[in-house]
Amino acid sequence: MQNGSDRLRAVNVPQPAVVELDAHGSPTKIAMRNAECGMRNSDVREPVTIEAVRETWRIDDEWWREPITRTYYEVLLQGGARIVLFVDLVKQEWFVQKP
Amino acid sequence: MPHLTSDAVACCWIPLFALRCETARRPELASLPVALLSPDDTRVWQVVPLARRAGVKPGMTVSQAIGLCPTLKLCEPDPVHYAEQFSRLVAALVTVSPVIEPVELGRAYVGTDGLEGLYGSPQQIVEAIQMRSAECGMRNFSEGSFAPRPSHVHSALRIPHSALRVGWGRGKFVSWVAATRARPGAAVIVPPGEEAKFLASQRLAVLPLDPDTHRRLLQLGVKTLGALVALPEEAVVSQFGRLGRRLWRLAAGLVSEPVVGRVVPEPIVATLTFFTPVGERDLLAHALDKLVDRALANPRRSEWRVQVVRVRAELEHGASWLVAATLKDPSATRERIAAPLKTQLERSPPAGAVERLVVEFTAFAPGTTELQLFARDAGAAARAGRRHALQSAAREIALRIRRPMLYHVIEVQPWSRLPERRYALIDFEP
Repeated sequence: MQNGSDRLRAVNVPQPAVVELDAHGSPTKIAMRNAECGMRNSDVREPVTIEAVRETWRIDDEWWREPITRTYYEVLLQGGARIVLFVDLVKQEWFVQKP
Repeated sequence: MPHLTSDAVACCWIPLFALRCETARRPELASLPVALLSPDDTRVWQVVPLARRAGVKPGMTVSQAIGLCPTLKLCEPDPVHYAEQFSRLVAALVTVSPVIEPVELGRAYVGTDGLEGLYGSPQQIVEAIQMRSAECGMRNFSEGSFAPRPSHVHSALRIPHSALRVGWGRGKFVSWVAATRARPGAAVIVPPGEEAKFLASQRLAVLPLDPDTHRRLLQLGVKTLGALVALPEEAVVSQFGRLGRRLWRLAAGLVSEPVVGRVVPEPIVATLTFFTPVGERDLLAHALDKLVDRALANPRRSEWRVQVVRVRAELEHGASWLVAATLKDPSATRERIAAPLKTQLERSPPAGAVERLVVEFTAFAPGTTELQLFARDAGAAARAGRRHALQSAAREIALRIRRPMLYHVIEVQPWSRLPERRYALIDFEP
């Protein structure tokens, strides 16, 4: 969301993440920049175990132009951090995003 | 800021609080069809049952109301008096428990954890609340004005002429629903463990629903909380998202939100008495700025940002005017604090000339570490101009970091379900 003069910046843009799934398709591990789970060394990607899925919800939007279909997961990471992930069901890609 | 919390909650509720304040000080109104006008516009705000039976409803224009009920007695609002009466009620409740959370005019939650040693059972705690609040003199309009409702669990002491309804239960929601089921002057107590049973028979309207969700649930045939809980939780979530999950859990009695009492700093008050009564809005707005400045300069305000600000005015011929604003982002700058007050001054100005203007900061939020950078400047800013201090602080940050790092957050599509569409940043140029 940047205009010609780069004055307008989108907030809370989804950040790509690599996610491992269990047999039922639920996320079990996530690899992302450490900064996103509150750690230093922001370029290092290390898989972190997802201890629990607290909540899931689905968003279907903009079906009239370019459909956006996402399933969100609010998860608890090993160490206590709580983050929100979603899978883009159109492109089958995972992202981290604040709710 | 230290917080006091309590899971066991008594909800104290006096419906039509402002109207009862009027009938309490003018007993001759008690047997008349009375309607109170809104402080924000000239529409009907609150209506006694007698006028309601004639068809008068809140939100109607005066001409519509008079057309339906020619004998209707209209009252001008006196918000200062209502706020003072509610403060008396809250002060009476504080003598029972230190954990008090006022919600709106006429409704407050009282935390009762740990009071068993003082008063005994929940019934006895509720009786203590009823006895103390009875001293505030909020009476019922008349016996029989409200149809008696069945109490589902247990009703404690009944004070026949009191208007106070009390609900006791675990968490704010259960206690609020219990209060809505209590008769005037009586109480409904929901024993621990019986929340789900109590809630099951309640109507859907007790949930915090927007009209659209309410309509959709009714279309699905869901009329009571029990009917909602009978649906699978996941099915409700798939239809209504996170809101659906919250509603389902509230209806099932699984959510227990504690009362949060706050150690409130003493209000900061700045007053201006005019030599001659003033009616010009420009002059009042200017006086407002000066009073906000004066209140901000109070030493007790340092390290706190203002969250709730009230302006009251004493008008000629004994009337009063009151506006209050709760700042979404607590602030210590004059412009941000004064802006919502000036908007209200334009929209609903005082009905007469102002003799005395009072600005009160009544609630505060702690200053964050980042804000302290500016707060140190703010002392000098009170003398040299706060905007100038902000400009120099912004320039210094830009010099040190060598790129713009200060932004305003602006709403783009705040209603969007996609989080990245809701807000954007734009360069901040003070």
